[in-house]
Amino acid sequence: MLDQRVDPATVSVWRVETTAIAVFIAFSCAGPLLEDSIVLAVAVFCAVMVISVPLGWWWSKARYERLSYRVDDLGVTIREGVWWWTHKSVPRVRIQHTDVSQGPLQRRYGVATLKLYTAGSRYTKVELEGLRHEDALALRDRLLSKEAQGD
Amino acid sequence: MTDGTFEPDQRLHPTSWLFAVFAFVRQLIVPLAAAAFFGSRDGNPTWLWPVAAVILAAALWKQWFYRYGLGPTGLVIREGLFFRNVRQIDYARIENIDTERSLLHRLLGVAEVRVETSTGGKAEASIQVLGLAAAEELRERVFAARGGEAREHTARKAEDVLLAMSTAEVVKFGLIDNRGLIVVAGVVGFLYEAGVMEVWSVVLRAAVSPELMARLIARGMVIQIALMLIVLLGAVLVLRVLSVALALFTFHGFTLTRVDNDLRTSYGLLTRLSLTLRLQRIQAAHVTQTLLHRVFDRVAVRVDLAGGGASPEAQQQGRGRVRWLAPLAAPNRARELIARALPDVDFTRTTEWQPLSPRAYGRVMRKSAALWSVVGLGFAVMLHALWPFLLIAVGVPISMCYAAMYVRYTRWALQDDALFFRRGWLTRKLVIVPRNRVQVVCLGESPFDRRYRMASLRVDTAGAASPTDQIRIPYLDLEVARELARALETTAAAQTKAAPAEVAGT
Repeated sequence: MLDQRVDPATVSVWRVETTAIAVFIAFSCAGPLLEDSIVLAVAVFCAVMVISVPLGWWWSKARYERLSYRVDDLGVTIREGVWWWTHKSVPRVRIQHTDVSQGPLQRRYGVATLKLYTAGSRYTKVELEGLRHEDALALRDRLLSKEAQGD
Repeated sequence: MTDGTFEPDQRLHPTSWLFAVFAFVRQLIVPLAAAAFFGSRDGNPTWLWPVAAVILAAALWKQWFYRYGLGPTGLVIREGLFFRNVRQIDYARIENIDTERSLLHRLLGVAEVRVETSTGGKAEASIQVLGLAAAEELRERVFAARGGEAREHTARKAEDVLLAMSTAEVVKFGLIDNRGLIVVAGVVGFLYEAGVMEVWSVVLRAAVSPELMARLIARGMVIQIALMLIVLLGAVLVLRVLSVALALFTFHGFTLTRVDNDLRTSYGLLTRLSLTLRLQRIQAAHVTQTLLHRVFDRVAVRVDLAGGGASPEAQQQGRGRVRWLAPLAAPNRARELIARALPDVDFTRTTEWQPLSPRAYGRVMRKSAALWSVVGLGFAVMLHALWPFLLIAVGVPISMCYAAMYVRYTRWALQDDALFFRRGWLTRKLVIVPRNRVQVVCLGESPFDRRYRMASLRVDTAGAASPTDQIRIPYLDLEVARELARALETTAAAQTKAAPAEVAGT
């Protein structure tokens, strides 16, 4: 099977998230300056926002572009990373159990995160973020059913 | 569960309450010590008596209502009366039954029994304490209940000693292994916490009077250097003696035996540990050889066990402890032992070692030289001095040597059945992972890697307790890395399908 993409709606989730982080960083940069001069604080706030918000928007899109996954007989392969590229393969027989989780934002956009747990040391949990919720459930069921067949 | 009606009926050893008291006290040691310290100022600590009574009652309570038993499908443990907790651990899930015996345990002829499972530490049970016969019986019955294969072996139970370390070997271990440093660090830390350091500085000031210092200073450079050397030598000597002493305490009478189909190690002078290394659970073997090891022509061999627990709570419980196959053994002997521990791997073939990418040398060298330069420049700017530029001048040849050694001693090899990876020049490390133990394979390309069309490969296994034990092969040519990843992925999945028993085993 060819590499598959996740749901584009996840870009919106990441954009909201990165914007929230940007606002937080801007506040914590500008906050201490508020006592000295309000103008300076506002200027710093705006400067941080002007840099970080577009960066966050670009990063969300880039992350989506880079993220792909493949499910075959051997298992699940996930490619991701904007700067540090990784290519993880989780053999099907190594999956101990799976989770499908959804945060409030993800629920709003109808996407979900599929978590694959292995008995490994470093990669005890491998996450695939941004699947459509139905797809995540279907994928989980597929992995589970194959697991049962394998035994 | 079919065990719903099963009622466990075995009880703890009559002296269990004593150890329960110790466990409670150990948990409460910080608040108790603080209370005793602050409370002692206003007279006798009468409040201690009710606390002691409560602890004693809790310990007796625990012993009185604790039951364990071997149910049809698993070990069942029932605790408490009002807050009742029944824990069931399936036989198939039990990985190890280890015993630990401190001096007190040995005086009373009892043992603390730890039942370990492959999960991160939750379903684990610590049975505190059982008589020796009861502990051995529990171990045998649990492993016998595991299935036909195990039962077959119990019939012809034979203990086969694979390695027995003599006292001389243990002393050698102490000389090589610098554990004395840990003791000193621990003692200093403790003394510092206890405020003894304040007292010490006062004592020191009184002992080394100004006249003595003045006289020493007047002796001239040579004497001063000699004194310093003597102090240094003394420190090294004391550290080594401490290391040897510690090694004797920990590893006295180390034996590795083969019992049925499993390996068992037991060691310790006062606290005697007995650990089972089930062959099915062994995930990887680590061979370490420091410079001192080479002087004595020895190596150290450890194994990783599934469920050995990289999780923090597991490490707190001391489950992250090192699983030695041989703390010290001659290289040839070590090879035989590893072959026993990893029966799936064919060690008769010569290993075909593969180098890193030919361009790895340049990258390692430039990276190291850049680091030296940054440090040198940083100092130069900070101190407004020229001498830090010497750092850069020295750093470049050092980087070249380092890179040459790094590239020369980092090698990997892929066999049909295992992946070998070794690295390090002064301290040489070798990891052997059977291919059917591979969990996740991760190919990573950093921005630098991409520039040189290289990649690094991480091979994750279960039970690699510390990050330094995990396999990461850096600076591979991208094509080589991809091929290697592909090969490992396929076998990790395929071999386990061929042997379904392994699925349960990992």
